[in-house]
Amino acid sequence: MYSNYLLIAWRNLLKKPLFSSINIVGLAIGLMSCILIMLFVRSEVGYDQWIPDSERVVRMHTAYTVPGRADLRTVRSAGKVMPAARDYLRNDIEAGVRMVSWGTTVRRNGEGFDDHVLFGEEDFFKVLDLPFAVGDAQSSFSKPNDLIVTEENALRYFGRTDVVGETLTICCFQGQPIELRITGVLKDLPDNTHLNISMLVYMDVALFSSFPGVLDTWNSLNVYTYFKLKPGVVLSELQERWNYWLNNESPYVENARDFSGDDSITQVTDIVKHKFMALHDIHLKAHADAGTMGDFTTLGDEDMVTTFAMVAVLILVIACINFMNLSTARAGQRAREVAMRKVLGASRMQVAIQFLIEAIGLVFLSMSLALVAVELVLPYYNQILNQNIAFNLLNDPALLVSLIAVVLVVGIGAGSYPAFVLSQYMPGHTLKASKSNDTAGSTKLRSALVVFQFAVSIGLLISTAVVYLQTQNANNMDLGYKKDQKLVLGVRVAGDNVESLQRQLENLPQVSSVVLSSEVPSQDNENNTMFTRPGVGDAEPVTELLNYHNMHFGFFEAYEVKPVAGRLFDEAFGSDLLQPATEETEGQGAVILNISAVKKLGYESAEQAVGSTLRADFSGGMTNFTVVGVINDIYFRSIKFDVRPSIYTNVPGRNRVATISYSGNPATAREAIEGVWKEVVPMEPIHLTDLNEMVASQYQQEIAQMRLFTAFAVLAILVSCLGLYGLAAFSAERRTKEIGVRKVMGASVRDIVLLLIW
Amino acid sequence: MLKLNNLSRIYQTDEVETLALNEVNIEIDKGEFDAIMGPSGCGKSTLLNIVGMLDNPSSGEYWFNNENIAGYNEAKLSDIRKKNIGFIFQNFNLIDELTVQENIELALLYHDVSASERKQRVAEVMDKVGIAHRAKHMPSQLSGGQQQRVAVARAVVGNQSMILADEPTGNLDSAHGQEVMQMLQKLNQEGTTIVMVTHSPAHADYARRTINLFDGQVVTENVKAA
Repeated sequence: MYSNYLLIAWRNLLKKPLFSSINIVGLAIGLMSCILIMLFVRSEVGYDQWIPDSERVVRMHTAYTVPGRADLRTVRSAGKVMPAARDYLRNDIEAGVRMVSWGTTVRRNGEGFDDHVLFGEEDFFKVLDLPFAVGDAQSSFSKPNDLIVTEENALRYFGRTDVVGETLTICCFQGQPIELRITGVLKDLPDNTHLNISMLVYMDVALFSSFPGVLDTWNSLNVYTYFKLKPGVVLSELQERWNYWLNNESPYVENARDFSGDDSITQVTDIVKHKFMALHDIHLKAHADAGTMGDFTTLGDEDMVTTFAMVAVLILVIACINFMNLSTARAGQRAREVAMRKVLGASRMQVAIQFLIEAIGLVFLSMSLALVAVELVLPYYNQILNQNIAFNLLNDPALLVSLIAVVLVVGIGAGSYPAFVLSQYMPGHTLKASKSNDTAGSTKLRSALVVFQFAVSIGLLISTAVVYLQTQNANNMDLGYKKDQKLVLGVRVAGDNVESLQRQLENLPQVSSVVLSSEVPSQDNENNTMFTRPGVGDAEPVTELLNYHNMHFGFFEAYEVKPVAGRLFDEAFGSDLLQPATEETEGQGAVILNISAVKKLGYESAEQAVGSTLRADFSGGMTNFTVVGVINDIYFRSIKFDVRPSIYTNVPGRNRVATISYSGNPATAREAIEGVWKEVVPMEPIHLTDLNEMVASQYQQEIAQMRLFTAFAVLAILVSCLGLYGLAAFSAERRTKEIGVRKVMGASVRDIVLLLIW
Repeated sequence: MLKLNNLSRIYQTDEVETLALNEVNIEIDKGEFDAIMGPSGCGKSTLLNIVGMLDNPSSGEYWFNNENIAGYNEAKLSDIRKKNIGFIFQNFNLIDELTVQENIELALLYHDVSASERKQRVAEVMDKVGIAHRAKHMPSQLSGGQQQRVAVARAVVGNQSMILADEPTGNLDSAHGQEVMQMLQKLNQEGTTIVMVTHSPAHADYARRTINLFDGQVVTENVKAA
């Protein structure tokens, strides 16, 4: 009997190839989109779950939220928090580890390589049980300065992975080279982890104690703090216990008392928040909790994942509606077959089952097509998303089961109308009249579904347009500075050679200027310090936490930023460079404010600000800064964020990058600059980037999103149109008799076309 | 075999109420060959549909094999129908997507018959109606007479004891019509009860009894002498 069902379904398919292909291809496109999106969503949601016991691992984030100042949120903690937690939460914590991640140059055979090194305490592998390729946690990670590299890195430096016993020299302790012996090799981490490990070093706590702001501090936030909890510990209860400690026993209790005049602050957790975040949540939720600063890898965006999941569902719904509409329309034509089957003794259930089997079979065909399409499209998809999503159905039982479930659900959903409505007609009338059982009800339902379908598609298109316009806006907006014909060179590693480097670069014929700064636009920092505007006369002093960047002479000129009041930094004045404070005297320096800072500090105008003094604890002592100029707000960060009130200082030794303005061919300029670099700093790799590229890279994610949105919206429209076309063609075909009668009555071809269009 | 007592059928649409059958009393014994005649709209097809359990009466009794089945639900009717009654329609009602053989086999699909037996019985019945050489053809490739022979084969392949034929010759030329009538007559001689609606007095002549309907009521019954 079932073979009969399949036979008749198959012959029905072949009988109307156009409808059949519209039906199957439309659904296949929908399924393909849905699978692609869901693969992405699943990959995003499943981050770090492969780590053994990962459900018990948490990381501590920190937020300083002092009223009236910019919040400081980070995924890191203060160095002294971990020992305190280990002690106070000893019943909850199985192991804890502090980590520090530093960029470094690796020297080998007289060559320098860029790399980064993660220092972890002894319990690292008790918390994050990462798999070894060579060695194991006990023997390879047992004493200070044991070095573990990943396979990828072993290949990079040695061309092989059995590198235990080899040595590498790292230079991250203020340029001091240290030679480390490799004691183990880690397997390369999969893509779906927020961790980014290239070299892992057993932390030499004694060595780190010479950096007071790292381990030995309650305030500076420089270490990553991970815990593994004992089984059964509930995160919310742990958080409560820790909040109790913060509010009652921590050293922060003293700090909170400083705010005793402020009613909004009654306890430590009003200003200092420590949040335990589950490892599984880090990839998608850390961003919202602690901002983009300081995590190991680019984090995911929960909103984006949710949006895409919704888009996937919508596309699938559109495709299903199509499928259902066409199936229903066609099934209506098979009323006679249904009636005959019933005359011959088929029960209603048997007829219903037949239609359901047919629908499921069709969905299965679509699914097969969709799977082939996914295979073909996946490489491009990964490229756009900058992901490495794998699609291997046979090794992925969860995926297989869910796809089968989709086939069943869509099949039953699409087949249910013909199955249950058609099967209920009494056959006598149908057989006698020999007409289709297409009721007014089913036509209305179809119209409603088509309207819904197009509403959704158009909604998607509008969203796409909005995303597109925003991205365009980001690219074309006036950022407050000129970014063309500029290359950015990292000069931190040049050390004492910066000045000679700068001189030699300026001598190049292609180069018009070389200016130094701590950052260039698109490079963010979290350098925030309290600046006080002393009260004059009756006025109260104003103290604000302000973000600052360091700009050397010529920076603003090179970027064509003009002062709105006062002047820019000028070597001729001789007083613009910071004179640091000594034990006897306060420091002296000059600053430039942006307009937002002028407002934040309560000046009435830019002109009023110029010439005034700001005081700050800066570079080792109280320092008086004279405001020499005010500039308009410039977008240092992505335009997704407001421009912060910022102060621009001019401190020697804080400059990490050089902006090289050049003329002519960028390739020639690059070549010349690289030549100079090799001469002056032969041991270090060069970091030379086009500023335009740096700025554009801030919007990479948005651009990828926009492309995908566009692609999926177009697919949604395509699927809707396919469906509508199918229905229209179907209705034209159904009306052949009407058309025939009209023609007999004298209708012209034009009349008929008009009839069908309307 | 079956007996209709005061059976009525009313069709209702939003505005119109049509009395298709009005207090009909008919008794049909096993082995009869009855023709139902009457002008268009007199209720012939309605009567046949009710007898064939494709439709339910609005009131009255329908005794089938000593069981009053008026008001039975669809599933029960379907069960009784498939064991006892075969149908032949004016427009054949073959399924276009199935071959001759498959169309006939369809009638056995809903019975508990094994595949091998099905095959055998279909072959036998195709021989009987003389359509075996067309077994693999689609209905659209057959002439009207051939199609109706397939329909007859389908009606009897399940060993049904009664055949209801709704103008079986209405779409056929006279030669083919004759052919079908002879086939029915032969079936009747082998013991199958046949109830046939027809407009043709010549074809009604094959029947032993002719029931004339007018406006939903039985007006005359003519029984031929044996």
